[in-house]
Formats: sequence, C-alpha cells, structure tokens
Amino acid sequence: MPGLIGICAFGESARNWNALRFAYYAMMSLQNRGQESFCVAWLDASDGKLEVASAEGRLEGLKELVESRRGHVAIGMTSPVRGDSISLIEGDVRLAVATDGMASGSTSRIETGEELGRRISSKLTEGLDLLSAAVKAVDSLPGGYAFVVLTERGELCCGRSNLGIKPLCVGGYGFDLGCVASESAALEVIGAEYRYDLRAGEVLAMDRNSLRRASTGSGVERPCAFELVYLSRHDSIVFGIEVARFREELGRALAEGDGVEADVVVGVPETSYPAAMAYSEAKGIPCKVGFVRTGNHVRSALRPTQLERLIGLQLKLNPVRSSVEGRRVVVVDDSVVRGNTLKHVVSALRRKGATEVHVRVCSPRLVDGCPFGTEVPPRDELIAGSLDEGTLSDVIGCDSLAFLDLSRLEKTASLIGTRFCTRCFGGNQEGDGL
Amino acid sequence: MIRVLGIGGGSREHALIEKIASSRHEPRIYWISEWRNPGILEVCSSTGGELILGNTTDPEFVSSTAKRLGVDIAITGPEEPNFHGVPDALWRAGIPCVGASRDLSVIERSKAALRRLQWKYDLPGKLLFRTFRDLGSAERALEEAGRNLTWLQNVVLKPARQAGGKGVKVVEDRQAYLTEEKTAFKTEHARWLLSYTSRYLDTDEKILVEECVWGPEYTVQCLFDGRTLVPFPMVQDYKHAFDFDIGPETGGMGSISGPGEALPFMTEEEFRESVEVIESVLRAIQDETGQEYRGIAAGQMMLTELEGPTVIEMYSRLGDPEGVNALASLETDFLDLMFAVVDGRLSRTTVRFSGLASVVKAVAPEGYPDNREIARGHQVDVDLDGIRGNRCRVYWGAVHLEGGRMLTMGSRVAEILALDRSIEEAAAKVNECLDKVRLRGWRTFYRTDIGTPESLRRMEALAGTVRRLYALRRSRGTVGRRLDWVPGVGLVDPAEEVRRTEVVGGG
Repeated sequence: MPGLIGICAFGESARNWNALRFAYYAMMSLQNRGQESFCVAWLDASDGKLEVASAEGRLEGLKELVESRRGHVAIGMTSPVRGDSISLIEGDVRLAVATDGMASGSTSRIETGEELGRRISSKLTEGLDLLSAAVKAVDSLPGGYAFVVLTERGELCCGRSNLGIKPLCVGGYGFDLGCVASESAALEVIGAEYRYDLRAGEVLAMDRNSLRRASTGSGVERPCAFELVYLSRHDSIVFGIEVARFREELGRALAEGDGVEADVVVGVPETSYPAAMAYSEAKGIPCKVGFVRTGNHVRSALRPTQLERLIGLQLKLNPVRSSVEGRRVVVVDDSVVRGNTLKHVVSALRRKGATEVHVRVCSPRLVDGCPFGTEVPPRDELIAGSLDEGTLSDVIGCDSLAFLDLSRLEKTASLIGTRFCTRCFGGNQEGDGL
Repeated sequence: MIRVLGIGGGSREHALIEKIASSRHEPRIYWISEWRNPGILEVCSSTGGELILGNTTDPEFVSSTAKRLGVDIAITGPEEPNFHGVPDALWRAGIPCVGASRDLSVIERSKAALRRLQWKYDLPGKLLFRTFRDLGSAERALEEAGRNLTWLQNVVLKPARQAGGKGVKVVEDRQAYLTEEKTAFKTEHARWLLSYTSRYLDTDEKILVEECVWGPEYTVQCLFDGRTLVPFPMVQDYKHAFDFDIGPETGGMGSISGPGEALPFMTEEEFRESVEVIESVLRAIQDETGQEYRGIAAGQMMLTELEGPTVIEMYSRLGDPEGVNALASLETDFLDLMFAVVDGRLSRTTVRFSGLASVVKAVAPEGYPDNREIARGHQVDVDLDGIRGNRCRVYWGAVHLEGGRMLTMGSRVAEILALDRSIEEAAAKVNECLDKVRLRGWRTFYRTDIGTPESLRRMEALAGTVRRLYALRRSRGTVGRRLDWVPGVGLVDPAEEVRRTEVVGGG
C-alpha cells in the first residue's frame, strides 16, 4: 500500500536534472498511500554513491535534503508504517529496494523487499543484466507486490509480481525523464505524462542510455479491489482503470434496486464523492455538501492508534446543518473498517437535525485482512466481519444500512474485462490462483 | 541510358535508390556517400553504376564527379548537401538536381529564419519564438519568464540552426514548485546549445526558444517544382527513443502512414490545410529569395489547439524514416517525377499512390542517440530470409561495409518496412522482424509500441481533444490568438512582442 516513485534522467544532459526534487513532489502527491514514513534513495551527483534517507511523520523532513543534494536518478516511497525505510541490499552490486505489497507467505513488506532484492542481487552475481535478473527474481517469488529498485550503477528497475495486485505505471517528461509511480496522478503532479500501466509479471529497467521491458510470461492480472474502492486518488488511473469513473460505477450499482426514500444524499469526505454523486443521479435525489474538513487530508482509518484515528476523522467531518436539517439523509461511504467514522457521522448528522440517516457503503463488507500487505486491520477489528446488518445498524445508530454486493463488484470488474482480488471482501476462495 | 546521381548514405537514401532503380527507364545509378552502405552499394552495382565514397557536402566534389560520370539528373537525400549548396553547384554545371538550393533550404537550416518568414508574411501555422545570440540575454529572459509566468515559461529550446536533429528540449513548466529546477535546466541547456552551435558559422543566432504546444505530430512531405505542389500521404514519425514516447529525442524510431492520404486519426480537411500551410512557406521563401524551389519539402507538423495544423519544423528533403513510407506507397515512376520536378512539369503529371498502410521501424544500437561512442563499431548480423519471409523490407542506415563485415556507426542501423491494409497489420509484421537485425556482443533497441491498436487509440483521443479546441477557436474567431495578463502591466499580446523584437528589429 505504500506509494512508490522512480525518476530517471536520460542522455547527456541527465546531470542537469535533480531527480530528488521530482521524487519529492511525486511523494507529496501519494500521501494517500501512507504518510508515516517518507524514504528516498538516489545516486549522489557528488560521488556517484547510492544513498538512502528517510523522514518520519512529515514529508517536509526531506525538504532540506532534496534541496541540498542532487542525483539524476532516484526512487521514493511514502509508507503508512512509522520507521519504515528503503532496504539496502549488499552484494556485487548494491541495491536499494522499495516495495508495495507482499510475497505469498511473507510476514512483512520489508521482508518481501529484502527477499526480492537478494534474489535480484544473486542473479546479478551470476552475470545476468538487471532486467533479466529482475524477471527471474519476480518469477521465483509469487505473491502480490510492486517494486522499484535503484542500483549503485544508476539503473532503475521496477515491476509487478505475477499476480499484479499492486499498481505501477510509467510516464515520461519531455525528452528527459522516465518516471514510474504507483498512481498516474503522481506523474501529472510533476508535469510528466502518464503512458501506461505495467502488466502483471512485467519488469522495466532504465538507465541513462536505455529503457527495456520484459515479462515473466506467467502474469495473471488480479487488481486489488480495495485499491480502487478506497486507496487510490480519484484523479488517478490504476491498473489502466480510471478511478473516479470506477467509483461512479459503484455508486450506480449501489442505487440499483435500493428502495430507500430520502431527501438528500451526502458523501463522507472524500473517497466516496464520485459514488455519492452517481448514486444521487441514479436515484434522482439531490446530492449536497454534507461535511467540511479541517486540516490536511488524513486517512483516518490508517492512523496507527485508536485515538489518532478519532482525531483524524473528527477533524475531517463537521456536518453542514442546512444540507441535512429536517431531511431524510442517505450517507454514502467508501468502506466500513471499524465503524468509527460512520458512528461519528451518524450521530453528528442526527444532532444537526437529520430526521433519518441511511448508510450506503459502495463496497462489500470488509471481512478479512490482506495477505499482500494492504494495511487492512485484522479480522477481529473489522466490524462488518463480525456483526449482522441489524446489529451493525444499532451500533452505528442509523435507520438502515446496505453494502454493495460482492457479486456486483465482481460483475463491475468483468464488465471492464478484469478480475479483482477481493480477498478482504470475502471473495477469491481457494483454488483461484490466490 | 539515363544516368542518375544520388547523394547521401542512410536508410532514406537506400529507399530512394531502390525506387529509382525500379524505374521503367532502367537507369544507371551512381551514388555519393560518406560510408559504404551495403544496401545502396548493392543497388548501384545491380544497375551497372557505382558507389563513390566522398564528402557529400562539398559542392565542387559532387558537381565535378557528376560531370565526370555524365549524369543526367541528380537528387540529394539529406539536408546538409542542400545547406552547403550542392544543388546550386550541380545546376551551375548543367546538371538538373532535385533538391533545394542553399538559399531556399534556409527554411530548414535556420529554424529562426523559418519562424521569421512565417511572422513576416503572417502565414498560418506559426508559433511564438525568441532568438538569442548570447547566454546572458537567454538567461535573463528565461528567469524572468519563471517569475512573471509569461509564455516563455513553457518552451521548446532548440539550436537556432538545424544540427542533425540534436539539442531539442521540451521543458513544460506548469508547476510553480518545480519552476526553480526547470529554469535551472533551461539555462544549462541554453549554455550547452551555445557551445554546440558555435561549430556552425552560417548563423549568428544560436538559441531558439519557442512556445511549447501539444497535440499529435505528423509529417507531410511534398514534391515542389516552384509552382505546383504534390503531397505524399501523411506520415507520423515517433521521435522518442523508447516505448510509449519516453526517453531522448532521436532522428525517428518509426513511422506510420495510410491507409489513404490522411492517418486514421486525422481528417482529410487537416491534410489539405497542412498542405496549404507548407505551400505558404514555400511561396514565401521563393518571394524572399527570388529563386524557384525544385525539390522535396516537408512540414513536420503538429495539430495544435491554437490553430490546427501548425509547423514545428520544415525539411528541405524527405524525412527519415518518413521518406521510406512515402516512397513505398508511390506507384508513379519516381524517375519520371524527378524530371517533372526539375522541368517544372508537375502540374501536367499524374501522381498515384497505392493507398496501402505502411509502417517503418528503426533498429538502433544501445547508446544511440546520446552516447554514440559505445554504439559504434559493432558487427551486424541479419536474417534477410526471415525478414523477407515476413513480407518486410530492410533499409540499411548507419552501417558501413568493411572487409565483408557490416559495422555500426553509432546511429540507427536499419529501418524495416511493411505494407498492409491497416497500420496495425503492418506494424505486427514489422515487429516480427525487429530482432532479425542483431549486433555481435552488443544490444539493439527498437520500439514495439508504434502502430499498435493501443497506440492508435491514444493518438485518436489526443487528436480529438485538440480538434474540439481549435474548432472552438475557429467558431469564436480567436485562431492563433494568445493573451496574457501581466500584473501591473495589463493585457499583453505576446505576438506583438515577437513582431517587435524578432521581425522588425531582428529581421
């Protein structure tokens, strides 16, 4: 779930670019994927050495560094885990590795990154070039992950595991920079143009003189549904899918066959907005501004402690009285993790005069953790995994509550020609490649 | 027996000589090249002619060679012979030559002169530009642009003189937080341009800065006899070294054309307008010089939201690889056309094209384009039967035949061509052949994305977006109109500044 970034300048003018600065602003745009640790690795222009640095809690902690150091090639990571860092792998060729996701059977993301790095490193020792080494490493390490690697030779390599699961896309800036990022919005924020999404099992390597692609040939695309429902920015393309358009589709799906009668629809800031608007359109119920947020955008469900989560969501959600007073309100949210947000939202809406509150969740029930490292809490913390709809409504305090059917989500996937990993929503039973 | 002389040594010239050799006149063909291109050599020999190694930009050498050989007609392939007056010397020696004279080819040699011409005559399809002779003034203007957010913020930096397609940088600077970084890059590049162009003594202006525009790019190549212009079908050339339009600028890694006159994502109307834009430049340069343009001219164009068809650069010759597409689709006898051009008879000549789609892709040695030292001197192996088996043709580029071995010279090794009913089908055939040209102990690279359905869809979407925008401008009567609000100054039309500083004062 971290945000990954890679920037490489090409050609004879490569040294005139500072990739670190581009990485910095690209990381700023991917804080939706983690804002606890910010890590960069680069080939320092002064001595050509591979260096790594990180900052805790605030990206700005890296500002001085990116303004004082230079490198024509850099990778970066925004992580939802405090104390996280880019792994350094020693060997004939020193590597820095950043990963999003996990190998099958791995116990942590860091472990996956280090394992992948060691496998690449040993293939390099055997004399393979970086692209072939990475293809072999990826093919031998099943699971759901994306990665970026920087070598001390100034090569940038990135790729996705055979199941895909995690997104990674490629873009370019002018004739000068090759860029990779978890989401296309990060490319646009630095002025680069999104070009395409890496396929499952695909690896790409670039340096000053070249850009090459190769594939394990055994990739089976399984995009993470949670990524599309919740994690990515609205303005991104991930897995080749336009995120906002997809979320609108979920909102329309939610409206299908929903007999609820209401006066107004409000979305919970801000992942649910496209779904709330599409739901409102489909139902013919006006959509209004329901809440105003205080402070920076914070993924409240991703904060490490319960207190921080509550602070996060209370800061972001102050209801607008005139939108809801004396009205029957449908609240659209993207997902239900622990129920904290919804409980707070429903009670705040009622105190501002909402006569009825109907909760509509544009994703299926979240019932299980993620084997591929997305920071979904374990099963025993997930409210929708443990309680039936009636009890859930009682806990949250709403008049009615409905989730999107898992089958409807899967149908949406098949309509766009893909099949998601829906493990956390209780899908993907044994024997289907996961 | 007609004797023909060609000049130049790359893939485009290989395609030219092949086309001339197929003429019904069965000419004897001589060719002057700076290296022994195996393809050109083979065709020369097959016609009873000869490949002569020599300086292609030396007018005296070329014209005396032509006289010695009793040549009836000549053609220049690349631009440098035109810039150096090779066609002028041939005409003076009584040998008609398809090729723009030294003065006329200024539309390619000096990118500044081309823009000045367009602004002076108020021609369609032009862009804002500024020229600089020294670093100080360039630096000041670029830094000021970063502060005041003028058009000079989003720019293309080019050598003011054509320099082998090198040195073009596109620096879009629309994010305030990266302005410092991008301004520093622009300044560094301006410094580099200054030192790079100092080797050319034929232009005072060293640095050209143009406004950065976006949209699909394409090339329209034409035959022109001074009065009548005959366009070849539209071609799209892909300049980036790597897949998905990423990486450094090259001479071109591939090109697509057809089926028919316009590309699938362009309209007939846009094709026609592009031809008019090119013709306007050719007529203006004829007026300016008082000479007749008898040769090939091409507009490297972009469909922009400002005007629709817009000139990015002009060529005084066929493009490379675009020329390979053009000649492949030509059905009329090319040697007849060469005579029609030099005799001024194009208006009375019918020119036919096959209408087929064509795709050309280049195979380049790793290191090209920016590190040619490491790309040079590698031995080339080719599976010609495999390529022919796929109904593709190979045109040799920067490959020198020496002691029976083909060696790379640092640039594109070969171009592979296929014709078919659709671009997609032709591209698939070419892709099958790209690894049939190999280097011993060194890697090649090529682009597999060009001409794929995804790539064409992307172009279609881009062209559609631009088309809606320029149509809107046309309906509002604001074609080519730019306006800035400069705080404290007021409404500014940057075109006025261009006219004031570049056309009246600098012209």
